[in-house]
Amino acid sequence: MNPQLGAALAAEEAAIYAYGVIGVRLNSRGDETEARAAEQAHRGRRDYLVARLSQLKASSAPSPAGYELPFPVTDRASALKLAIQVEDGVTQSWRPVLAVTTGNDRGTALAAMTEAAVRATRWRRLAEVAPATLAFPGRPE
Amino acid sequence: MVLTGAVRMSVTRHSRRRLLGAAAGLATAGLSGCGLLDDDPAPPEAPDPLQPLLDEALALAASYDRAILSQPGLASRLTPLADDHRAHAAELARLIGRTLPSSGTSAVASGPAGAAAATIASLRAAEQAGQKSATAACKAAPPERAALVGSIAACRATHAEALR
Repeated sequence: MNPQLGAALAAEEAAIYAYGVIGVRLNSRGDETEARAAEQAHRGRRDYLVARLSQLKASSAPSPAGYELPFPVTDRASALKLAIQVEDGVTQSWRPVLAVTTGNDRGTALAAMTEAAVRATRWRRLAEVAPATLAFPGRPE
Repeated sequence: MVLTGAVRMSVTRHSRRRLLGAAAGLATAGLSGCGLLDDDPAPPEAPDPLQPLLDEALALAASYDRAILSQPGLASRLTPLADDHRAHAAELARLIGRTLPSSGTSAVASGPAGAAAATIASLRAAEQAGQKSATAACKAAPPERAALVGSIAACRATHAEALR
C-alpha cells in the first residue's frame, strides 16, 4: 500500500503548489473561494497521508522545492485549465489506493478520489468545458 | 452379462422377452440418467454481487432517457450523463460476464412534462442514492474490482454536482 499512498501524497503536494499559482490568476470572488476551499482540502489529505505513512513506518519522498507547470498560467482561462488538470491528476493518484486498502483506509481513499473528481467537475463548469463529467474518473486515459 | 443373457435367452421365450425388457429398461435408465442432467434448469447461480450496481446503472440511464423524451430542451445537458451510465453498465456486464439486454430507449410513455427544474431535482436525488450504493459496493469489493466500482461511485457524485 505504501507506494500507492506515496503517489497520492506526491499528487496532493503538487496540487497545493498549483493552487498557489492558480489563485494569483483568478479574479472573481467565486473562483477565489473555490480555489481556497480546494487548497484546504488538499492540505487535509496531505496531512492524512503523511500521518498514515508515518504510522506504517514508511518514509515518504521529500516534496520537491518547485514544480514545472505543464503550461504557462497567465490568465483566468489557463488557471482554470490547470485546476482541472490538477484535480484529474489527484483523482487518478487515489484510484490505485482502492485496490490495496480495505475498510476505513479504502473509504478515505474513495472519499478523497470522489471529492477531487467533483472539484474537477466544478472547475469544468466554471470554465464552461462540456461535458463537465468523465465516465470513469481516475481511470488513466 | 452378455454370457448370462445368451444362456437365459436359450431357455424360454418368456425369459427372453423379460430380458429384452430388462435391457430396454437399462437403456432407458441410462438415457434418462443423462436426460436428468440435461433437463435440469441450470443450477441457479448466485447473482454476482455487482449485479445490483449494473441494474442501477441501467435504471439511471433509462430515467435520463425518459427525462429527455419529456423535456427535449434538456437533451444536450443530460445526454452525456446518460452515456456515462451506459458506459458503466457495459463495463460491469463485461466484468460479470453477462450480456446486456439490447439497448434502445425503454418504451416508457413519457409522462406529463413536469417542469425542467423538477426533472433535474429528481435525477439529482437518484444520482445521490446511486453514489451511496456504489460507495458501499466499492467498500465491499475484492481488490481487483475496487478501482472500477470506485470510479463509478465518483462519477455519480460528479453527476449530482453537474445537476446542481
